[in-house]
Amino acid sequence: MAEHRLLFSKSGRARYISHLDLMRTFQRAFFRAGIPIKHTEGFNPHAFVSIALPLSVGYSSECELLEFGLLDGVREEEVPARMNAALPEGIVIHECYKALRPIKALTHLNYIITFDYETGVPDGAETALKELLSRESLVVTKKSKKAKSGFTEVDLIPLIKSWTVEGRRDTLVADVVLAAQNPGLNPELIRAAFCEEFPQFAPGFVSFHRRETLDGDGKVFR
Amino acid sequence: MNRTLERILPKVQKPARYTGGEYNAVVKDKDRVDTRFALCFPDTYEIGMSNLGCRILYGLMNEQEGLWCERVYAPWGDMEAEMRKEGILLYGLESGDPIADFDIIGFSLGYEMAYTNVLNMLDLAGLPLRAADRKDLAPLVVAGGTCCYNPEPLAPFVDFFVLGEGEEVTLEYIELYKKARDEEWTKAELLREAAKIPGIYVPSLYDVTYNVDGTVAAITPLDGVPATVTKRVVEDMTQSYFPAKTIIPSTEIVHDRVMLELFRGCIRGCRFCQAGYAYRPVRCRDAKKLGELGREACLDSGYQEITLSSLSSTDYPGLVDLCDDLLDFCQPRNISLSLPSMRADTFSMNLMERLQKVRKGGLTFAPEAGTQRLRDAINKNLKEEDLLQSVRTAFSGGWNGVKLYFMLGLPTETDEDVLGIADLARKVYFAWKECAPNKARGVRITVSTSWFVPKPHTAFQWEAQIPVEEYQRRVNLLRDALKRDKSITYNWHDPETSYMEAIFSRGDRRLADVLEWAWEHGAKFDSWSEYFDFQRWMDALAACGLDGDFYAHRVREKDEVFPWSVPSVGVSREFLWRERELCYASQTTPDCRTRCSGCGANKFLEGGVCNG
Ligand code: SF4
Repeated sequence: MAEHRLLFSKSGRARYISHLDLMRTFQRAFFRAGIPIKHTEGFNPHAFVSIALPLSVGYSSECELLEFGLLDGVREEEVPARMNAALPEGIVIHECYKALRPIKALTHLNYIITFDYETGVPDGAETALKELLSRESLVVTKKSKKAKSGFTEVDLIPLIKSWTVEGRRDTLVADVVLAAQNPGLNPELIRAAFCEEFPQFAPGFVSFHRRETLDGDGKVFR
Repeated sequence: MNRTLERILPKVQKPARYTGGEYNAVVKDKDRVDTRFALCFPDTYEIGMSNLGCRILYGLMNEQEGLWCERVYAPWGDMEAEMRKEGILLYGLESGDPIADFDIIGFSLGYEMAYTNVLNMLDLAGLPLRAADRKDLAPLVVAGGTCCYNPEPLAPFVDFFVLGEGEEVTLEYIELYKKARDEEWTKAELLREAAKIPGIYVPSLYDVTYNVDGTVAAITPLDGVPATVTKRVVEDMTQSYFPAKTIIPSTEIVHDRVMLELFRGCIRGCRFCQAGYAYRPVRCRDAKKLGELGREACLDSGYQEITLSSLSSTDYPGLVDLCDDLLDFCQPRNISLSLPSMRADTFSMNLMERLQKVRKGGLTFAPEAGTQRLRDAINKNLKEEDLLQSVRTAFSGGWNGVKLYFMLGLPTETDEDVLGIADLARKVYFAWKECAPNKARGVRITVSTSWFVPKPHTAFQWEAQIPVEEYQRRVNLLRDALKRDKSITYNWHDPETSYMEAIFSRGDRRLADVLEWAWEHGAKFDSWSEYFDFQRWMDALAACGLDGDFYAHRVREKDEVFPWSVPSVGVSREFLWRERELCYASQTTPDCRTRCSGCGANKFLEGGVCNG
């Protein structure tokens, strides 16, 4: 069913659209754009769309992937422009193409985490963050729907493939490559661990940006 | 987007409600705009965005050059707390700019329990609550919507009320405002001129005095303003603006579908129904035009459902043809059609087939009263046999759920009428037994009762709401009567909200202090059980020295001066009194298509003849 993919970005006001709402928005947008797509079978058929690796509400991204099936009559290259006219502000389609590799080959995600300090980055914060990411292991408890207690323990370090940290005047910018799935790592856990270990360096605000989808070889995944 | 806002949005529930940026939201170039309008709905985004009237005004205003209308909804408690903590003032969703800097702030008032949100939103905007304390011309605070037919409890807070349909009058008062701004009038000068526009009620230009018993002694117009202000209506619905291209939210709202407005007004004349009187006369949109609008709206929105909306959609003359026309378009695209307001006597096989082709949901009927005698008395011209015929049709067609709505405490109601509700529900059950093709699936019959609230500008505006103990007794009576019926579920409304509605819907200006006191003590979102606090309202009334029962439970004299004497819906008081007397004689009045009963609303139409 999902022979096609859209590469799109989500930024600005659209960052706050939830995953479910975004799927609904796409179903309607295809209809508005007059682009016929495949429907699910069954009693109550609906336009089939699937977004790989849900993005947390509030995060921005320039590498979201949506899977769908384009029906005959529309050329792939006309899809971006027609969809962009039908989408809400902040969702922009960059490319429509035939899917060649399965989503499971998308193993890593590159995120930019920006720690914001309104009054300047405190002395020691950059070193502290680097120290944290250099550890052998960093076990944190996170909420879990499956576990009976409601919590499970995860070690973040094996899920962080690579990282760099750069200190600027009033931001610390971490450029990280994280495991994408089975299991994936939400960069929020890095923020939480940092604030827990170094409460004196807790930033005023942290923003998350998903920059690239990668495969096991570190190459761009489409 | 504002940086502070960016920081708080991740912390609140459903942040997409507070961002704007939806498909078809109108963003204008500020350099080419000279007048900014904040269209405020005093409830959540999900409810406000579902309001067709607001969508009409939004589209209409934004078609005007130089005018930019933005939307504003009441932030939920978590968002409000963050906004207050961070010092973010209430802003328009399109621009993010504080509405305190806008030219006009317009509220849509559909139900009394939203009044505290009006106060709260003014406060969140950083504005003084009372009109007298807002000395500048801008922002002008106005309000429209059904509540404005008795807006007295809000009178001190709002600069003027707009009565009736806003399509024409909105642009008229905006023009006047622009003139006042350009010529540097004082606010008092503007209000005096505004009062000359038909449909505009400036409460500060009327002096209200009271008798010792608390009733209104007189309402005196000042500065030569008119003694009554009559609502505005749009004469030609087919030509009037309809928002086929409208905002499609990026998050789910209550009515998340195309709303196609078939007609305004209602031919029926149910004696309890404020909308039935207030929206007279009936004016239909042409069926061909509706078909076009429906198709256009679907294509532009991407919605997969069209709802045919009006006060009583099965009374639309060309309904079956319209359904067929739309179905030709909808079926191949998997778009479903729904009818929210159906009369139980007109649910025909024909219609059922058309609705069921695409989807089969539950059916809802509102007989309102359990016996023919009482249905006649309230002029709900619905025969039991017609209702049963309709449910038989539905059950035969495979429906297996029916909801039945009733009111308790209607004028002239006796225990026999209350028990009649149980009998009727049982007859519906037997109809299912008789007709259902597949009984294995069972049937769900839900009976819901509400506590009748007498409304201004209806035949029952003189009536008392029955005391709460009596309401409770009738609920118990009905509950006991239905105890053994396993297939019938009985729900009843809790009485506290209905009591407050009864107070405010026929309230006077003195209740403004009660509103303000309750708001100061935390009242907001009073239509939400999460927030409603009955004791707070009792304390507010006590603190202001007012008696709620005086408003809710008192029978009015025939010629009492009502607090709502200035606003007129165009239906004469004599007609309403006649209707009340007919109620006590359990006599019906025919619908407007069968015979005109001379209510007075014909004067809104050219030629003076209703032809709905
Ligand atoms: S004037 Fe007659 S037909 Fe027109 S709304 Fe009134 S009662 Fe109905």
